Amino acid sequence: MSWVDGLRHRLRTLLRPGRHASELEDEVTLHLELDGIHEEDASQTRRRFGSPLYHREETRAQTWLRLTDIARQDVSAAWRGVTHAPGVAGLVVATLALGIGANAATFTMLDALYLRAPAGVAEPDALRRYWVEHFRTGEGLPFKSQKVSYPMYRVLAQASGNRERIALYDTDNSLRLGRGFGGPRVRAVYASSNYFSVLGVRIAHGRFYTSAEDSLGHGASVALVSHAFWTTRLGGDPAALGQPVAIGTHTYAIIGVLDPAFTGLDLEPADIWIPLAAVPGPPGPWWEAVHNTRLFRLVERGGQPAGALEQRATAMIRAFNREVLPARPDTLMNVYTGSIIEARGPGQPGQELVITTRLAGVAAIVLLIAWANVINLLLARAVDRRREIAVRLALGISRVRLVRTLVLETILLAVAAAGLATLAGWAGGTALRTLLMPGTDWARSALDWRVALFTGAVALASGLVAGFLPALQASRPVLTSALKSGARDGGRHRSRLRTGLVAVQAALSVTLLVGAALFVQSLRNVRGLDLGFDQDRLVFASLEFLEGEAPPRPVIVAALRDMASRLAAQPGVERVGRTGMEPMRGFSITELFADDFSLESVRSNPEATPYSASVTPGYFEAVGLRFIRGRTMAGGDVDGGPPEVVVNEAMARLVWPGRDPLGRCMRFVKPENPCYTVVGIVENSRWGYVIEPEPKPQFFLPLGNLPSPGHSGRVLVVRAEPGAAKQIAAQVRALLAEAFPGADVQVRRMLENLEPEYRPWRLGATLFTAFGFLALLVAVVGIYSTVSYGVSQRTHELGVRAALGARRADVLRLVVGEGLRTVALGTVLGIGLALAAGRLVSAMLYGVRAGEPLALLVVSCVLLAVAALAAAAPAWKAGRIDPMTALRAD
Amino acid sequence: MSGRSPRSGLLPGTLDMLVLRTVSLGPLHGYGIARHIARLSQEVFQVEQGSLYPALERLLAAGWVRAKWGSAPTGRKARYYTITASGRRKLGQEISSYDHLVLAIARVLGREEPA
Repeated sequence: MSWVDGLRHRLRTLLRPGRHASELEDEVTLHLELDGIHEEDASQTRRRFGSPLYHREETRAQTWLRLTDIARQDVSAAWRGVTHAPGVAGLVVATLALGIGANAATFTMLDALYLRAPAGVAEPDALRRYWVEHFRTGEGLPFKSQKVSYPMYRVLAQASGNRERIALYDTDNSLRLGRGFGGPRVRAVYASSNYFSVLGVRIAHGRFYTSAEDSLGHGASVALVSHAFWTTRLGGDPAALGQPVAIGTHTYAIIGVLDPAFTGLDLEPADIWIPLAAVPGPPGPWWEAVHNTRLFRLVERGGQPAGALEQRATAMIRAFNREVLPARPDTLMNVYTGSIIEARGPGQPGQELVITTRLAGVAAIVLLIAWANVINLLLARAVDRRREIAVRLALGISRVRLVRTLVLETILLAVAAAGLATLAGWAGGTALRTLLMPGTDWARSALDWRVALFTGAVALASGLVAGFLPALQASRPVLTSALKSGARDGGRHRSRLRTGLVAVQAALSVTLLVGAALFVQSLRNVRGLDLGFDQDRLVFASLEFLEGEAPPRPVIVAALRDMASRLAAQPGVERVGRTGMEPMRGFSITELFADDFSLESVRSNPEATPYSASVTPGYFEAVGLRFIRGRTMAGGDVDGGPPEVVVNEAMARLVWPGRDPLGRCMRFVKPENPCYTVVGIVENSRWGYVIEPEPKPQFFLPLGNLPSPGHSGRVLVVRAEPGAAKQIAAQVRALLAEAFPGADVQVRRMLENLEPEYRPWRLGATLFTAFGFLALLVAVVGIYSTVSYGVSQRTHELGVRAALGARRADVLRLVVGEGLRTVALGTVLGIGLALAAGRLVSAMLYGVRAGEPLALLVVSCVLLAVAALAAAAPAWKAGRIDPMTALRAD
Repeated sequence: MSGRSPRSGLLPGTLDMLVLRTVSLGPLHGYGIARHIARLSQEVFQVEQGSLYPALERLLAAGWVRAKWGSAPTGRKARYYTITASGRRKLGQEISSYDHLVLAIARVLGREEPA
């Protein structure tokens, strides 16, 4: 093939330019020699030969080397252009690095959550997950969950007809390595035996477990471990295979080590895989029992097309529900399938995903601001370079090539910025991970080639976008005027474009800052909520025992009582109570009968279902709940007090609307049970969440006289003196650890329990504030550079003004005023933008509207003040212009 | 026509055609090609190196000729050029479009056939 010959020749030339040149040299020498033989007159020969340099260049121009030559020239020209103004170059690099870095940081999160399939899995695109949507009338929004019970799995497997290729798994983060509670955490995956073949995971050592080892009721105590677990915990020793490893209350024989690439299907790396049938549970014929209560996630490879499968599975699962839940005909379910990447599936996006997508938008805005800033700086620089550019044009450079070298300058700067941005992205990405998903032990570093690639691509795009417009403007050939003109007439070209860019920067900054202000206000609102508890003074303590090692309940209760009285005597402790369950850590519901009220009557409104709590009489004082009427139960912290009950206001209103609850009778569990007398009404408190749309009805049973056994009151509530909570918590921990050596002692301050509740608000406030200030910083640099550039261009004009008697204050007013006018325009635009964008974040706000006038006012003032400062510095300099120097100069 | 100003002696694009025609007769080195063209044109076309070697580079890059190092009769190493299949096709096209052009010029000049 001739074109192949041609291509080979071109490539050979390109790759071995030296050889090409020397071959040509040889050829030409021969030519001259032969010519000399035929021609007597040597000068004639040489003349006919012409300039050797010329023909070498002409020949070279025929090859692809011409392209590399041009590229080299362009790059070195661009480099000279960059190094000629190091100040501008530094500002451009810094601005772009901030903008690109912000995007790189959010990209690390987006990539991990949205774009990346689990590693070590064969053909992840052919895998899918299942979601089941549950909804009942009157139970609020339907929700989609991946977790299905074992019987539901059987229905879905039947619907898909692909049972062999559907794997089940569930994760368990609560386990510890070794017996007891002291060991490091182990992340276990309970997986069906086909999990590994369905995912296509390879094994590094040993073997997978077989279906016989995962058969119903006969699960073998074997386990596979991750490569990382094997190297760090088992010393990477092949002899560890077959050895037993104790995890919590069970012991498993390690039979294999998985491929290093595979760390499970979740972001957090898993350590150990255990057959489903070996899931710890009560002894005996427990399998069905355990697997009916445990929920699993399903992963399928291949199978029917999604649409048909979803339809069929939905029909079958609804039929199944009607069969097992005939009493709830309103129970509806829909089946969905989706990507192995969970965030892409139909499920509700997690909070971290919502924040990440919003942040990605914010980062994009920061980049836009950075672009506007860079364009502005380059436009200003282009005016400085008019003469240089005019000379280049006059010397015959084509406009295309001129624009190319100018854009190349920006790209060089963007590449430098990309280097810094990669660092910023790595640091920012790591910070985002810990902020957004604390407690996640990430399987991969925040920086990898994908992030680097993204950063490079954004940098390249930034160079092109930010470089093109100024380059085009700079290369506009008005040669003669440019060659002749000096700084004197620069003042006449105050660019409308540059002013517009400053306004745009101001507008975008205002938008982000308003966002930040709203989030900060939300956080304050949420923190300021009256929960009904003195949350900063409360310490909760509880005990966990190993299965089979717990002392009998009466022994524990007696010990806790003893501990409560000992604690009450400690300095710094005000009150001690006990309860069955602490707030924000769960709830319990007890069947109740009171006059004409029963739980059945609130079935349609689960929000109104009363929560029950079992407490000692001192509990209310300890947590800081005030009595509206009546008193606490009598009897103290002893067994067998009188049957008395305390209700909260919401409960009183629900059960006895318009009537007096005091002295009424309530029965629990069964209608024929003995009567409990209502003796007190306490104020409402938040029990389940910090933000509850309605106060939850709640009643408090005496721990010493419960209607049914089941609550041991194993949570101690300690009320510390103001400021002493931290120190008291440590004391409580030490005392309990001493008294119960074998137990897992858990001590938490209430603020720690609340932390997960405040977290979304705090995150929104922190991140939006950080990005808002980043934007402000970039915008301030923009305002400063534009104003100071404007001043340098107007030196002559300002000199004239000074000569005509303008005082320094006048000049200051003139320059700052002009800068502020632009910023004010931008602020108005930005407020409009903020109002429009408020819709996107309104779901993440509490007690504050997107159009909050105070936030808008504060932000506008901040921006104008900062802008005034940024403009004042160059204006101050302008005020010192000496008319004589200014008028004589250039 | 003088040999001093080689380009003026050639219609644009005809140098490629002449070189292709020359190497279609057999492998030749650069000087050989230049001599051949000069001799056959009775010294009307003096192809200078400044045009010849860029032209050869162009033909190589297009894949119309192939080059191979061999020994010249003087014992020196020389690069021999041969025409490729697509080079022959190209030559055919060039000749027919050249004929077309010459015929058209002849008609304008009022001659039925080119001399």
